[in-house]
Amino acid sequence: MKYLSDLILKLGKVDRRWIFVIIALVVLLPLFFPVGLPIRPTDSTQTAYNAIDSLEPESKVLVSFEYGPSTKPEIHPMTFAVLRHLFKNDQKVYITCLWPDGQFMAEDAVEQIMENEFQLTYGEDYVLLGFRPGNEAVVKGIVSNMRKLYTTDARGNLIDEIQMMEGVNKLADFDFIFSASAGYPGTVEWVQYGADPTGIPMSTGVTSIQVNEVMPYVQSGQVNGILAGMPGAAEYEALVGKPGIGTSGMDAQSIAHLVIVLFIVFGNVAFFIERQRQKKY
Amino acid sequence: MTFGTILGAWIAAFLTLAIFSYLYKDNPFYKIAEHLFVGVSAGYWASMFFWTQIQPNLFGRLWPASQYNADSLWYKLYNGLGVLTSSVFPAGGIQGHSDVHFIYLLPFALGVMMLLSVSSKLSWFARWGIAYTVGMAAGLRAYGFLNSNVIGQIQGSTIQLVGVDMPVFALLGNSYFNSIVILVGTIAGLAYFYFSKEHKGAFGKLTKIGIYFLMISFGASFGFAVMGRISLLIGRFVDLIGYSSAQYNHATIWVLIIMVIALGIGAFKDKNKGVKANG
Repeated sequence: MKYLSDLILKLGKVDRRWIFVIIALVVLLPLFFPVGLPIRPTDSTQTAYNAIDSLEPESKVLVSFEYGPSTKPEIHPMTFAVLRHLFKNDQKVYITCLWPDGQFMAEDAVEQIMENEFQLTYGEDYVLLGFRPGNEAVVKGIVSNMRKLYTTDARGNLIDEIQMMEGVNKLADFDFIFSASAGYPGTVEWVQYGADPTGIPMSTGVTSIQVNEVMPYVQSGQVNGILAGMPGAAEYEALVGKPGIGTSGMDAQSIAHLVIVLFIVFGNVAFFIERQRQKKY
Repeated sequence: MTFGTILGAWIAAFLTLAIFSYLYKDNPFYKIAEHLFVGVSAGYWASMFFWTQIQPNLFGRLWPASQYNADSLWYKLYNGLGVLTSSVFPAGGIQGHSDVHFIYLLPFALGVMMLLSVSSKLSWFARWGIAYTVGMAAGLRAYGFLNSNVIGQIQGSTIQLVGVDMPVFALLGNSYFNSIVILVGTIAGLAYFYFSKEHKGAFGKLTKIGIYFLMISFGASFGFAVMGRISLLIGRFVDLIGYSSAQYNHATIWVLIIMVIALGIGAFKDKNKGVKANG
Protein backbone atom coordinates (compact mmCIF):
# COMPACT_ATOMS: atom_id res chain seq x y z
CA MET A 1 0.00 0.00 0.00
CA LYS A 2 2.88 2.34 0.94
CA TYR A 3 4.57 1.51 -2.36
CA LEU A 4 1.40 2.44 -4.24
CA SER A 5 0.94 5.74 -2.40
CA ASP A 6 4.66 6.57 -2.92
CA LEU A 7 4.21 5.87 -6.64
CA ILE A 8 1.11 8.09 -6.81
CA LEU A 9 2.96 10.91 -5.03
CA LYS A 10 5.98 10.52 -7.34
CA LEU A 11 3.75 10.60 -10.42
CA GLY A 12 1.91 13.60 -8.95
CA LYS A 13 5.16 15.56 -9.13
CA VAL A 14 5.80 14.73 -12.80
CA ASP A 15 6.64 17.64 -15.15
CA ARG A 16 3.36 19.17 -16.37
CA ARG A 17 4.68 19.03 -19.97
CA TRP A 18 4.18 15.25 -19.91
CA ILE A 19 0.48 15.90 -19.27
CA PHE A 20 0.39 18.19 -22.35
CA VAL A 21 2.02 15.44 -24.43
CA ILE A 22 -0.51 12.85 -23.21
CA ILE A 23 -3.47 15.18 -23.97
CA ALA A 24 -2.04 15.91 -27.44
CA LEU A 25 -1.67 12.18 -28.12
CA VAL A 26 -5.16 11.23 -26.92
CA VAL A 27 -6.65 13.95 -29.13
CA LEU A 28 -4.44 13.21 -32.14
CA LEU A 29 -4.52 9.40 -32.22
CA PRO A 30 -8.33 9.00 -32.54
CA LEU A 31 -8.23 11.43 -35.47
CA PHE A 32 -5.89 9.03 -37.29
CA PHE A 33 -7.47 5.83 -35.97
CA PRO A 34 -11.21 6.44 -35.34
CA VAL A 35 -12.75 4.15 -32.73
CA GLY A 36 -16.36 4.85 -33.76
CA LEU A 37 -17.85 5.40 -30.30
CA PRO A 38 -21.66 5.53 -30.44
CA ILE A 39 -23.35 8.94 -30.67
CA ARG A 40 -26.79 9.20 -29.05
CA PRO A 41 -28.73 12.45 -29.36
CA THR A 42 -29.44 14.17 -26.06
CA ASP A 43 -32.88 15.47 -25.20
CA SER A 44 -31.96 19.08 -26.07
CA THR A 45 -30.54 18.16 -29.49
CA GLN A 46 -33.58 16.00 -30.25
CA THR A 47 -35.88 18.91 -29.30
CA ALA A 48 -34.03 21.24 -31.70
CA TYR A 49 -34.20 18.61 -34.45
CA ASN A 50 -37.93 18.02 -33.88
CA ALA A 51 -38.66 21.76 -33.92
CA ILE A 52 -36.96 22.18 -37.30
CA ASP A 53 -38.32 18.93 -38.67
CA SER A 54 -41.91 19.89 -37.83
CA LEU A 55 -41.81 23.03 -40.00
CA GLU A 56 -44.04 23.00 -43.08
CA PRO A 57 -42.16 22.84 -46.42
CA GLU A 58 -41.21 26.29 -47.81
CA SER A 59 -41.25 27.82 -44.32
CA LYS A 60 -39.19 30.99 -43.94
CA VAL A 61 -36.24 30.28 -41.65
CA LEU A 62 -33.86 32.98 -40.48
CA VAL A 63 -30.39 31.57 -39.81
CA SER A 64 -28.06 33.98 -38.04
CA PHE A 65 -24.26 33.54 -38.07
CA GLU A 66 -22.68 34.89 -34.90
CA TYR A 67 -19.29 33.24 -34.81
CA GLY A 68 -15.87 33.57 -36.38
CA PRO A 69 -12.77 31.52 -37.19
CA SER A 70 -11.83 31.14 -33.50
CA THR A 71 -14.97 29.10 -32.77
CA LYS A 72 -15.33 27.53 -36.22
CA PRO A 73 -14.52 23.95 -35.05
CA GLU A 74 -17.50 24.01 -32.69
CA ILE A 75 -20.17 25.93 -34.59
CA HIS A 76 -19.45 25.34 -38.27
CA PRO A 77 -20.30 21.60 -38.21
CA MET A 78 -23.66 22.23 -36.52
CA THR A 79 -24.52 25.03 -38.96
CA PHE A 80 -23.78 22.69 -41.87
CA ALA A 81 -25.95 19.96 -40.34
CA VAL A 82 -28.85 22.35 -39.69
CA LEU A 83 -28.65 23.79 -43.23
CA ARG A 84 -28.65 20.25 -44.67
CA HIS A 85 -31.75 19.47 -42.62
CA LEU A 86 -33.50 22.67 -43.73
CA PHE A 87 -32.82 22.14 -47.44
CA LYS A 88 -33.69 18.46 -47.25
CA ASN A 89 -37.13 19.63 -46.07
CA ASP A 90 -37.41 22.34 -48.79
CA GLN A 91 -37.25 25.33 -46.45
CA LYS A 92 -36.38 28.89 -47.50
CA VAL A 93 -33.31 30.16 -45.71
CA TYR A 94 -32.50 33.83 -44.96
CA ILE A 95 -28.99 34.37 -43.61
CA THR A 96 -28.08 37.31 -41.38
CA CYS A 97 -24.82 37.95 -39.52
CA LEU A 98 -24.47 39.87 -36.26
CA TRP A 99 -20.69 39.38 -36.33
CA PRO A 100 -18.53 40.74 -39.16
CA ASP A 101 -16.57 37.45 -39.27
CA GLY A 102 -19.91 35.65 -39.43
CA GLN A 103 -20.23 36.73 -43.03
CA PHE A 104 -17.04 34.81 -43.97
CA MET A 105 -18.45 31.75 -42.24
CA ALA A 106 -21.78 32.21 -44.03
CA GLU A 107 -20.02 32.58 -47.42
CA ASP A 108 -18.21 29.30 -46.74
CA ALA A 109 -21.48 27.55 -45.83
CA VAL A 110 -23.17 28.95 -48.94
CA GLU A 111 -20.38 27.64 -51.17
CA GLN A 112 -20.19 24.19 -49.59
CA ILE A 113 -23.84 23.45 -48.81
CA MET A 114 -26.03 25.58 -51.06
CA GLU A 115 -23.87 25.68 -54.19
CA ASN A 116 -21.81 22.46 -54.18
CA GLU A 117 -24.02 19.99 -52.27
CA PHE A 118 -27.60 21.06 -53.04
CA GLN A 119 -27.08 23.23 -56.17
CA LEU A 120 -29.74 25.71 -55.03
CA THR A 121 -30.78 28.94 -56.69
CA TYR A 122 -29.75 32.18 -55.03
CA GLY A 123 -32.71 34.46 -54.34
CA GLU A 124 -35.22 31.62 -54.68
CA ASP A 125 -34.05 29.05 -52.12
CA TYR A 126 -31.72 31.11 -49.97
CA VAL A 127 -30.48 34.64 -49.58
CA LEU A 128 -27.40 36.01 -47.85
CA LEU A 129 -28.46 39.30 -46.27
CA GLY A 130 -25.07 39.66 -44.65
CA PHE A 131 -23.61 41.59 -41.76
CA ARG A 132 -25.06 44.77 -40.33
CA PRO A 133 -23.36 46.63 -37.47
CA GLY A 134 -25.25 47.48 -34.31
CA ASN A 135 -25.42 44.26 -32.24
CA GLU A 136 -28.84 44.00 -30.51
CA ALA A 137 -30.00 47.12 -32.39
CA VAL A 138 -29.86 44.97 -35.57
CA VAL A 139 -32.17 42.40 -33.96
CA LYS A 140 -34.53 45.19 -32.93
CA GLY A 141 -34.32 46.57 -36.48
CA ILE A 142 -35.26 43.19 -37.97
CA VAL A 143 -38.16 42.96 -35.50
CA SER A 144 -39.59 46.35 -36.48
CA ASN A 145 -38.73 46.81 -40.17
CA MET A 146 -35.90 44.86 -41.78
CA ARG A 147 -36.31 46.74 -45.10
CA LYS A 148 -34.87 49.84 -43.39
CA LEU A 149 -31.89 47.83 -42.25
CA TYR A 150 -31.32 45.84 -45.42
CA THR A 151 -31.70 47.76 -48.66
CA THR A 152 -29.23 45.43 -50.42
CA ASP A 153 -28.04 41.89 -49.71
CA ALA A 154 -24.41 40.84 -49.15
CA ARG A 155 -23.88 40.58 -52.93
CA GLY A 156 -25.14 44.09 -53.64
CA ASN A 157 -28.56 43.03 -55.06
CA LEU A 158 -31.48 45.29 -54.21
CA ILE A 159 -33.69 43.59 -51.61
CA ASP A 160 -36.84 44.64 -53.51
CA GLU A 161 -35.62 42.68 -56.55
CA ILE A 162 -35.00 39.40 -54.67
CA GLN A 163 -37.87 36.97 -55.30
CA MET A 164 -37.90 35.27 -51.88
CA MET A 165 -37.92 38.63 -50.06
CA GLU A 166 -41.46 39.27 -51.28
CA GLY A 167 -43.72 39.69 -48.25
CA VAL A 168 -40.81 39.56 -45.83
CA ASN A 169 -40.66 42.87 -43.98
CA LYS A 170 -40.10 42.06 -40.32
CA LEU A 171 -39.23 39.24 -37.98
CA ALA A 172 -42.89 38.27 -37.52
CA ASP A 173 -42.92 37.22 -41.21
CA PHE A 174 -40.52 34.36 -40.46
CA ASP A 175 -41.56 30.94 -39.22
CA PHE A 176 -38.41 30.02 -37.33
CA ILE A 177 -35.10 31.47 -36.11
CA PHE A 178 -31.87 29.51 -35.75
CA SER A 179 -28.97 31.31 -34.11
CA ALA A 180 -25.48 29.85 -34.52
CA SER A 181 -23.78 31.74 -31.75
CA ALA A 182 -20.39 31.99 -30.10
CA GLY A 183 -21.05 34.92 -27.76
CA TYR A 184 -22.25 38.52 -27.77
CA PRO A 185 -24.26 39.48 -29.75
CA GLY A 186 -25.89 36.11 -30.24
CA THR A 187 -28.49 33.74 -28.87
CA VAL A 188 -29.26 35.76 -25.74
CA GLU A 189 -29.97 38.89 -27.83
CA TRP A 190 -32.18 36.90 -30.24
CA VAL A 191 -34.18 35.60 -27.26
CA GLN A 192 -34.48 38.96 -25.52
CA TYR A 193 -35.19 41.20 -28.52
CA GLY A 194 -36.39 38.78 -31.19
CA ALA A 195 -38.09 35.54 -30.17
CA ASP A 196 -39.67 36.56 -26.83
CA PRO A 197 -41.32 39.83 -28.00
CA THR A 198 -42.60 38.34 -31.29
CA GLY A 199 -43.31 34.76 -30.24
CA ILE A 200 -41.42 33.34 -33.25
CA PRO A 201 -40.03 29.92 -32.25
CA MET A 202 -36.28 29.70 -32.16
CA SER A 203 -33.52 27.21 -31.64
CA THR A 204 -29.79 27.60 -31.27
CA GLY A 205 -26.37 26.07 -31.60
CA VAL A 206 -23.75 27.46 -29.24
CA THR A 207 -20.18 26.92 -28.08
CA SER A 208 -19.77 24.61 -25.08
CA ILE A 209 -18.79 27.49 -22.83
CA GLN A 210 -22.11 29.25 -23.51
CA VAL A 211 -24.35 26.27 -22.74
CA ASN A 212 -24.87 27.13 -19.06
CA GLU A 213 -25.83 30.69 -20.02
CA VAL A 214 -28.41 29.62 -22.62
CA MET A 215 -29.74 26.46 -20.94
CA PRO A 216 -32.21 28.33 -18.65
CA TYR A 217 -33.98 29.60 -21.81
CA VAL A 218 -34.22 26.00 -23.05
CA GLN A 219 -35.58 24.72 -19.71
CA SER A 220 -38.23 27.44 -19.66
CA GLY A 221 -39.27 26.72 -23.26
CA GLN A 222 -38.13 30.12 -24.60
CA VAL A 223 -35.68 28.28 -26.90
CA ASN A 224 -36.55 24.98 -28.61
CA GLY A 225 -33.56 22.79 -27.79
CA ILE A 226 -29.89 23.58 -28.02
CA LEU A 227 -26.93 22.12 -29.90
CA ALA A 228 -24.16 22.18 -27.31
CA GLY A 229 -20.73 22.53 -28.86
CA MET A 230 -19.07 19.83 -30.92
CA PRO A 231 -21.07 16.96 -29.31
CA GLY A 232 -24.27 18.80 -30.22
CA ALA A 233 -23.06 19.05 -33.81
CA ALA A 234 -22.19 15.33 -33.88
CA GLU A 235 -25.61 14.42 -32.49
CA TYR A 236 -27.38 16.57 -35.08
CA GLU A 237 -25.24 15.05 -37.85
CA ALA A 238 -26.35 11.61 -36.62
CA LEU A 239 -30.02 12.68 -36.70
CA VAL A 240 -29.69 14.16 -40.19
CA GLY A 241 -27.85 11.02 -41.29
CA LYS A 242 -24.78 12.71 -42.72
CA PRO A 243 -21.64 12.40 -40.56
CA GLY A 244 -19.29 15.36 -40.77
CA ILE A 245 -16.47 17.09 -38.88
CA GLY A 246 -18.50 16.97 -35.64
CA THR A 247 -18.78 13.19 -35.74
CA SER A 248 -15.12 12.63 -36.66
CA GLY A 249 -14.01 14.74 -33.69
CA MET A 250 -16.16 12.96 -31.12
CA ASP A 251 -13.81 10.00 -30.53
CA ALA A 252 -11.01 12.41 -29.68
CA GLN A 253 -13.38 14.49 -27.55
CA SER A 254 -14.65 11.50 -25.54
CA ILE A 255 -11.22 9.94 -24.95
CA ALA A 256 -9.68 13.31 -24.01
CA HIS A 257 -12.46 13.86 -21.47
CA LEU A 258 -11.91 10.43 -19.98
CA VAL A 259 -8.17 11.12 -19.59
CA ILE A 260 -8.84 14.56 -18.03
CA VAL A 261 -11.28 13.00 -15.54
CA LEU A 262 -8.61 10.41 -14.66
CA PHE A 263 -6.06 13.20 -14.16
CA ILE A 264 -8.45 15.04 -11.85
CA VAL A 265 -9.13 11.87 -9.79
CA PHE A 266 -5.42 11.07 -9.71
CA GLY A 267 -4.50 14.62 -8.68
CA ASN A 268 -7.05 14.55 -5.86
CA VAL A 269 -5.83 11.18 -4.57
CA ALA A 270 -2.23 12.51 -4.54
CA PHE A 271 -3.41 15.65 -2.72
CA PHE A 272 -5.20 13.66 0.02
CA ILE A 273 -2.29 11.24 0.50
CA GLU A 274 0.11 14.17 0.89
CA ARG A 275 -2.21 15.95 3.33
CA GLN A 276 -2.61 12.82 5.41
CA ARG A 277 1.16 12.35 5.60
CA GLN A 278 1.69 15.97 6.60
CA LYS A 279 -0.85 15.53 9.42
CA LYS A 280 0.94 12.37 10.57
CA TYR A 281 4.37 13.97 10.84
CA MET B 1 -3.74 24.99 -55.77
CA THR B 2 -2.61 28.62 -55.92
CA PHE B 3 0.65 29.87 -54.42
CA GLY B 4 -1.35 32.13 -52.08
CA THR B 5 -3.29 29.19 -50.62
CA ILE B 6 -0.10 27.18 -50.03
CA LEU B 7 1.63 30.19 -48.45
CA GLY B 8 -1.43 30.73 -46.24
CA ALA B 9 -1.24 27.11 -45.08
CA TRP B 10 2.47 27.48 -44.21
CA ILE B 11 1.77 30.66 -42.23
CA ALA B 12 -1.21 29.01 -40.45
CA ALA B 13 0.88 25.92 -39.60
CA PHE B 14 3.77 28.09 -38.33
CA LEU B 15 1.54 30.32 -36.18
CA THR B 16 -0.38 27.36 -34.69
CA LEU B 17 2.79 25.45 -33.80
CA ALA B 18 4.43 28.65 -32.54
CA ILE B 19 1.55 29.18 -30.09
CA PHE B 20 1.65 25.51 -29.04
CA SER B 21 5.42 25.82 -28.44
CA TYR B 22 4.62 27.86 -25.31
CA LEU B 23 3.59 24.60 -23.65
CA TYR B 24 7.29 23.65 -23.78
CA LYS B 25 8.47 27.06 -22.53
CA ASP B 26 8.45 30.76 -23.45
CA ASN B 27 10.46 31.10 -26.66
CA PRO B 28 11.02 33.44 -29.65
CA PHE B 29 8.52 31.54 -31.87
CA TYR B 30 5.77 32.08 -29.31
CA LYS B 31 6.76 35.75 -28.94
CA ILE B 32 6.51 36.28 -32.73
CA ALA B 33 3.05 34.67 -32.85
CA GLU B 34 1.85 36.52 -29.75
CA HIS B 35 2.96 39.96 -31.00
CA LEU B 36 1.53 39.29 -34.44
CA PHE B 37 -1.77 38.24 -32.91
CA VAL B 38 -2.04 41.35 -30.71
CA GLY B 39 -1.07 43.70 -33.55
CA VAL B 40 -3.25 42.09 -36.22
CA SER B 41 -6.25 41.84 -33.84
CA ALA B 42 -6.00 45.50 -32.85
CA GLY B 43 -5.62 46.60 -36.47
CA TYR B 44 -8.36 44.29 -37.72
CA TRP B 45 -10.92 45.38 -35.11
CA ALA B 46 -10.07 49.09 -35.45
CA SER B 47 -10.52 49.00 -39.23
CA MET B 48 -13.56 46.71 -38.98
CA PHE B 49 -15.21 49.00 -36.45
CA PHE B 50 -14.52 52.09 -38.55
CA TRP B 51 -15.70 50.62 -41.87
CA THR B 52 -18.77 48.83 -40.48
CA GLN B 53 -19.93 51.35 -37.87
CA ILE B 54 -18.51 54.86 -38.15
CA GLN B 55 -18.28 55.27 -41.93
CA PRO B 56 -21.63 53.77 -43.03
CA ASN B 57 -23.71 54.38 -39.87
CA LEU B 58 -22.47 57.83 -38.84
CA PHE B 59 -21.00 59.57 -41.89
CA GLY B 60 -23.46 57.69 -44.15
CA ARG B 61 -26.41 59.17 -42.24
CA LEU B 62 -24.95 62.67 -42.14
CA TRP B 63 -24.05 62.85 -45.85
CA PRO B 64 -26.19 60.30 -47.78
CA ALA B 65 -25.66 60.11 -51.55
CA SER B 66 -29.41 60.35 -52.14
CA GLN B 67 -29.52 63.94 -50.82
CA TYR B 68 -26.27 65.08 -52.44
CA ASN B 69 -26.30 68.73 -53.48
CA ALA B 70 -22.92 70.20 -54.36
CA ASP B 71 -24.20 73.76 -53.81
CA SER B 72 -25.38 73.29 -50.22
CA LEU B 73 -23.03 74.35 -47.43
CA TRP B 74 -23.41 70.98 -45.72
CA TYR B 75 -22.16 69.05 -48.75
CA LYS B 76 -19.45 71.67 -49.43
CA LEU B 77 -18.08 70.73 -46.01
CA TYR B 78 -18.36 67.07 -47.09
CA ASN B 79 -16.45 67.75 -50.32
CA GLY B 80 -13.78 69.52 -48.24
CA LEU B 81 -13.42 66.37 -46.10
CA GLY B 82 -13.36 64.34 -49.32
CA VAL B 83 -10.21 66.18 -50.37
CA LEU B 84 -8.52 64.89 -47.22
CA THR B 85 -9.64 61.29 -47.70
CA SER B 86 -11.76 60.22 -50.65
CA SER B 87 -12.14 56.61 -49.48
CA VAL B 88 -13.99 57.69 -46.30
CA PHE B 89 -15.87 60.52 -48.01
CA PRO B 90 -16.33 59.38 -51.65
CA ALA B 91 -17.45 61.87 -54.30
CA GLY B 92 -21.24 62.30 -54.47
CA GLY B 93 -22.03 61.24 -50.87
CA ILE B 94 -22.17 57.91 -49.05
CA GLN B 95 -24.53 55.19 -50.31
CA GLY B 96 -26.97 53.37 -48.04
CA HIS B 97 -29.29 55.91 -46.41
CA SER B 98 -32.11 58.00 -47.85
CA ASP B 99 -32.25 61.08 -45.57
CA VAL B 100 -29.85 63.41 -43.79
CA HIS B 101 -30.12 62.74 -40.04
CA PHE B 102 -28.67 65.77 -38.23
CA ILE B 103 -29.49 64.09 -34.91
CA TYR B 104 -26.41 61.94 -35.56
CA LEU B 105 -24.24 65.01 -34.91
CA LEU B 106 -24.93 64.31 -31.24
CA PRO B 107 -23.28 60.85 -31.14
CA PHE B 108 -20.54 62.28 -33.38
CA ALA B 109 -19.83 64.98 -30.76
CA LEU B 110 -20.01 62.42 -27.93
CA GLY B 111 -17.56 60.19 -29.81
CA VAL B 112 -15.11 63.09 -30.21
CA MET B 113 -15.50 63.81 -26.49
CA MET B 114 -14.57 60.19 -25.70
CA LEU B 115 -11.37 60.62 -27.73
CA LEU B 116 -10.47 63.70 -25.66
CA SER B 117 -9.69 61.38 -22.75
CA VAL B 118 -6.12 61.27 -24.11
CA SER B 119 -5.69 64.93 -23.04
CA SER B 120 -5.19 65.47 -19.31
CA LYS B 121 -6.85 68.92 -19.43
CA LEU B 122 -9.86 67.94 -21.54
CA SER B 123 -10.36 64.35 -20.32
CA TRP B 124 -13.44 65.37 -18.29
CA PHE B 125 -15.31 65.67 -21.62
CA ALA B 126 -15.12 61.86 -21.92
CA ARG B 127 -17.50 61.51 -18.95
CA TRP B 128 -20.35 62.84 -21.09
CA GLY B 129 -19.86 60.11 -23.66
CA ILE B 130 -19.50 57.43 -21.01
CA ALA B 131 -22.62 58.70 -19.18
CA TYR B 132 -24.63 58.53 -22.40
CA THR B 133 -23.39 55.03 -23.25
CA VAL B 134 -24.13 53.69 -19.76
CA GLY B 135 -27.60 55.25 -19.67
CA MET B 136 -28.53 54.17 -23.18
CA ALA B 137 -27.28 50.60 -22.68
CA ALA B 138 -29.11 50.28 -19.34
CA GLY B 139 -32.36 51.54 -20.87
CA LEU B 140 -32.06 49.38 -23.98
CA ARG B 141 -31.35 46.23 -22.02
CA ALA B 142 -33.78 46.77 -19.16
CA TYR B 143 -36.86 45.69 -21.13
CA GLY B 144 -35.24 42.68 -22.80
CA PHE B 145 -33.72 41.52 -19.53
CA LEU B 146 -36.91 41.93 -17.51
CA ASN B 147 -39.03 40.22 -20.15
CA SER B 148 -36.78 37.25 -20.95
CA ASN B 149 -34.59 36.76 -17.89
CA VAL B 150 -37.00 37.68 -15.09
CA ILE B 151 -40.59 37.08 -16.24
CA GLY B 152 -39.67 34.27 -18.68
CA GLN B 153 -37.56 32.49 -16.08
CA ILE B 154 -40.20 32.84 -13.33
CA GLN B 155 -42.75 31.34 -15.72
CA GLY B 156 -40.30 28.58 -16.64
CA SER B 157 -39.68 27.57 -13.03
CA THR B 158 -43.34 27.38 -11.98
CA ILE B 159 -44.98 23.98 -11.68
CA GLN B 160 -48.44 23.25 -13.01
CA LEU B 161 -49.68 20.49 -10.76
CA VAL B 162 -53.02 19.70 -12.41
CA GLY B 163 -54.06 19.13 -15.99
CA VAL B 164 -50.56 18.33 -17.25
CA ASP B 165 -49.65 15.04 -18.84
CA MET B 166 -46.16 14.32 -17.54
CA PRO B 167 -44.55 11.50 -15.58
CA VAL B 168 -43.83 11.74 -11.86
CA PHE B 169 -40.18 10.83 -12.39
CA ALA B 170 -37.92 10.98 -15.44
CA LEU B 171 -34.16 11.54 -15.61
CA LEU B 172 -34.48 13.64 -18.78
CA GLY B 173 -37.26 15.88 -20.00
CA ASN B 174 -40.35 17.12 -18.19
CA SER B 175 -41.45 15.40 -15.00
CA TYR B 176 -42.88 16.51 -11.66
CA PHE B 177 -39.61 15.51 -9.99
CA ASN B 178 -37.48 17.63 -12.36
CA SER B 179 -39.83 20.58 -12.01
CA ILE B 180 -39.53 20.43 -8.21
CA VAL B 181 -35.72 20.19 -8.46
CA ILE B 182 -35.67 23.33 -10.66
CA LEU B 183 -38.03 25.17 -8.31
CA VAL B 184 -36.07 24.23 -5.16
CA GLY B 185 -32.74 25.01 -6.91
CA THR B 186 -33.95 28.43 -8.04
CA ILE B 187 -35.32 29.43 -4.62
CA ALA B 188 -32.31 28.05 -2.71
CA GLY B 189 -29.86 29.67 -5.16
CA LEU B 190 -31.59 33.04 -4.83
CA ALA B 191 -31.72 32.69 -1.03
CA TYR B 192 -27.93 32.29 -0.94
CA PHE B 193 -27.59 35.80 -2.42
CA TYR B 194 -29.96 37.33 0.16
CA PHE B 195 -27.64 38.97 2.67
CA SER B 196 -30.12 41.01 4.72
CA LYS B 197 -30.72 38.01 6.99
CA GLU B 198 -27.99 35.98 8.66
CA HIS B 199 -27.52 32.52 7.11
CA LYS B 200 -28.49 30.62 10.26
CA GLY B 201 -31.12 28.05 11.30
CA ALA B 202 -33.68 26.96 8.67
CA PHE B 203 -32.67 29.83 6.37
CA GLY B 204 -29.03 28.78 6.70
CA LYS B 205 -29.95 25.23 5.67
CA LEU B 206 -31.79 26.56 2.64
CA THR B 207 -28.79 28.68 1.60
CA LYS B 208 -26.55 25.63 2.05
CA ILE B 209 -28.75 23.76 -0.43
CA GLY B 210 -28.31 26.81 -2.68
CA ILE B 211 -24.51 26.46 -2.44
CA TYR B 212 -24.74 22.83 -3.56
CA PHE B 213 -26.81 23.83 -6.60
CA LEU B 214 -24.29 26.60 -7.39
CA MET B 215 -21.39 24.13 -7.07
CA ILE B 216 -23.11 21.73 -9.49
CA SER B 217 -23.57 24.67 -11.88
CA PHE B 218 -19.88 25.66 -11.59
CA GLY B 219 -18.89 22.04 -12.19
CA ALA B 220 -21.05 21.91 -15.31
CA SER B 221 -19.49 25.20 -16.49
CA PHE B 222 -16.01 23.77 -15.99
CA GLY B 223 -16.93 20.60 -17.87
CA PHE B 224 -18.34 22.60 -20.77
CA ALA B 225 -15.25 24.87 -20.77
CA VAL B 226 -12.98 21.81 -21.04
CA MET B 227 -15.19 20.42 -23.80
CA GLY B 228 -14.95 23.71 -25.71
CA ARG B 229 -11.16 23.88 -25.43
CA ILE B 230 -10.77 20.28 -26.57
CA SER B 231 -13.05 21.04 -29.55
CA LEU B 232 -10.82 23.96 -30.53
CA LEU B 233 -7.74 21.76 -30.14
CA ILE B 234 -9.36 19.16 -32.41
CA GLY B 235 -10.06 21.93 -34.93
CA ARG B 236 -6.42 23.03 -34.97
CA PHE B 237 -5.20 19.41 -35.23
CA VAL B 238 -7.58 18.73 -38.13
CA ASP B 239 -6.15 21.77 -39.96
CA LEU B 240 -2.56 20.79 -39.14
CA ILE B 241 -3.19 17.27 -40.44
CA GLY B 242 -4.61 18.78 -43.63
CA TYR B 243 -1.57 21.06 -44.06
CA SER B 244 0.79 18.09 -43.70
CA SER B 245 -0.41 16.64 -47.01
CA ALA B 246 1.58 16.78 -50.29
CA GLN B 247 -0.89 19.41 -51.59
CA TYR B 248 0.61 21.94 -49.17
CA ASN B 249 4.20 20.64 -49.61
CA HIS B 250 4.00 18.99 -46.15
CA ALA B 251 3.88 22.41 -44.44
CA THR B 252 3.14 21.08 -40.91
CA ILE B 253 5.91 18.48 -40.97
CA TRP B 254 8.59 20.89 -42.19
CA VAL B 255 7.60 23.68 -39.81
CA LEU B 256 7.49 21.20 -36.89
CA ILE B 257 10.96 19.78 -37.74
CA ILE B 258 12.52 23.26 -38.10
CA MET B 259 10.91 24.44 -34.87
CA VAL B 260 12.00 21.38 -32.87
CA ILE B 261 15.60 21.71 -34.17
CA ALA B 262 15.69 25.45 -33.38
CA LEU B 263 14.27 24.92 -29.87
CA GLY B 264 16.69 22.02 -29.34
CA ILE B 265 19.68 24.18 -30.33
CA GLY B 266 18.37 26.96 -28.06
CA ALA B 267 18.01 24.53 -25.12
CA PHE B 268 21.54 23.14 -25.77
CA LYS B 269 23.05 26.65 -25.81
CA ASP B 270 21.20 27.60 -22.64
CA LYS B 271 22.53 24.48 -20.94
CA ASN B 272 26.12 25.29 -22.01
CA LYS B 273 25.73 28.87 -20.78
CA GLY B 274 24.54 27.53 -17.43
CA VAL B 275 27.52 25.14 -17.18
CA LYS B 276 29.99 27.95 -18.03
CA ALA B 277 28.37 30.32 -15.55
CA ASN B 278 28.54 27.67 -12.81
CA GLY B 279 32.13 26.70 -13.77
